[in-house]
Amino acid sequence: MRQEFYKTLTSPVWLVILVLAVVLPPLLPSYYLHIVILALVYVALASAWNIVGGMAGQISLAHSLFIGTGAMLSTALLLKLGVNMWLGLVISAIISGVMGAMIAWIDFRFQLGHLSFVLITMAFAEMGTVIVEGWDFLGGASGLLLPQDKGDFLAFQFGGGIGAFWVMLVLAIVSILINVAILNAPLGYYLRTIRDNENAARAIGVNILRYKIAAMVISAMLSSVIGTAYVRYLTFADPYLLVSPIIIIEVVLFATVGGLGRAYGPAFGALLLVPLGEILRGKLGGTLPGLHYFIYGVVVIAVILMSPRGLLPLFEKWFSRMRPKAATSK
Amino acid sequence: MLEVDHLVTGYGGVPVLHDVSLTLNAGEIVGLLGANNAGKTTLINSLSGMYAPMSGRIRFEGHDVTAMTPKQRVEIGIIQVPEGRLVFPDMSVRENLLLGGINARARAHRPRTMDHVLELFPRLKERLGQNAGTLSGGEQQMLAIGRALMAEAKLLMLDEPSLGLSPLFVQYIFGIIDRLHAEGLSILLIEQNLNLTLRHAQRCYVLERGKVAIEGASDVVKDDPRTRRAYLGL
Repeated sequence: MRQEFYKTLTSPVWLVILVLAVVLPPLLPSYYLHIVILALVYVALASAWNIVGGMAGQISLAHSLFIGTGAMLSTALLLKLGVNMWLGLVISAIISGVMGAMIAWIDFRFQLGHLSFVLITMAFAEMGTVIVEGWDFLGGASGLLLPQDKGDFLAFQFGGGIGAFWVMLVLAIVSILINVAILNAPLGYYLRTIRDNENAARAIGVNILRYKIAAMVISAMLSSVIGTAYVRYLTFADPYLLVSPIIIIEVVLFATVGGLGRAYGPAFGALLLVPLGEILRGKLGGTLPGLHYFIYGVVVIAVILMSPRGLLPLFEKWFSRMRPKAATSK
Repeated sequence: MLEVDHLVTGYGGVPVLHDVSLTLNAGEIVGLLGANNAGKTTLINSLSGMYAPMSGRIRFEGHDVTAMTPKQRVEIGIIQVPEGRLVFPDMSVRENLLLGGINARARAHRPRTMDHVLELFPRLKERLGQNAGTLSGGEQQMLAIGRALMAEAKLLMLDEPSLGLSPLFVQYIFGIIDRLHAEGLSILLIEQNLNLTLRHAQRCYVLERGKVAIEGASDVVKDDPRTRRAYLGL
């Protein structure tokens, strides 16, 4: 089971990514660099969400709470209490992990079905929005402004632009690698048994509570760390962006379009849809209001109709048709 | 081997099983009969630990297991084959079987147990790499039983193994049950199929509205006029 993970680590694809990462960003106009960074943020977030939403099949909308904690709390700790943002990142991640464990426990204790789980996590997310808006410490409704990014690494500053690109690239890769590692470890198999059939999982002796909590805690902490890095890039901690239902719905959408439960599926979805959304907005945003949303929506619907299990499985099928020999066994 | 003592189980405070007592000796096939809603599945799920009983005791090999979690019960060898087969459809047959043996007791012998299971079900051997969701109903039932055997069951609890299968497959599955019995496995068999169960089990219990209505050797239960009546729910 572990071999697969090491094979991934030693894949020559990393070399290609490294070369691209060194060569490309300095050549890109800042607007396109911004799109790349944004895509990487969502690659990381969608992959982190995939551990709970894809592998365990639990459609959690509470992740905006973890992203928001990572962003707002670490910012507030820095601005209000002078806590170094690295430490703020760790504190936020721990708090997100505890909240995640609580939600997983509630799910287990009250045997929530799929729909109730979605609704309960949505309620938690909504609660987060209300708390942030109503609590001045976290910036209230007006948000918080971080000090200018001077590239001081020890203060969690990366110099904007290319620095942020590297941070997000590392987070995206770490997030994907955690997916690969879990999928090839017993945990990944147990999560899939829980997704496929919780009763059957119980019948073979899977400790459901333990693995639900494990998945949620890993996913929540990862989302929180990405949230902290994201707010440092944005410089402005905007509650309507970072603790909003919109961010989590985007994450769920990208993961679903890419391919739920697969190591590279959610990343694939984010890499396609974020640039598509941004470029449509850039090219068409000024013409007819709402037109870019319309086209974006049509594309998403077409993808879901064409391949309900996501784009990645579809591409794999095309690819194996082109090279029939390579795809004999799975 | 298994002693159920005055068990009361229910959902949300409303009892479904009233004062059910049952014993199963090592190496025996015991049939659990009853119409729909008689409480058969509730009983088997209480034995596997899915529901905590409201009162009563469950003992297994002399130990009180009433308070054990489902996982702990799997670890001491109480294994359930859930109703409706419930294989993991997106995983291969091999992965399904390996997952059957994840408990601490069975894990180390998985390759050996796997050989035994594949010898019992040659059909599964041909389909090892295939996704379980693509198997036929009968093959999925084989896989569900095979997965339970991978856990090194001491007590195998089968919940309606004939459900939705063609007569030929039913015959085959019951042949396997007889063979497992000959190998010394203790089996609790839940069935709607009266005649089939009476033929294969040594003793039977007939549940009626959550109570044991009739119990005894299969021949005796078979000739008891109340059995038919319990079945028709009169």
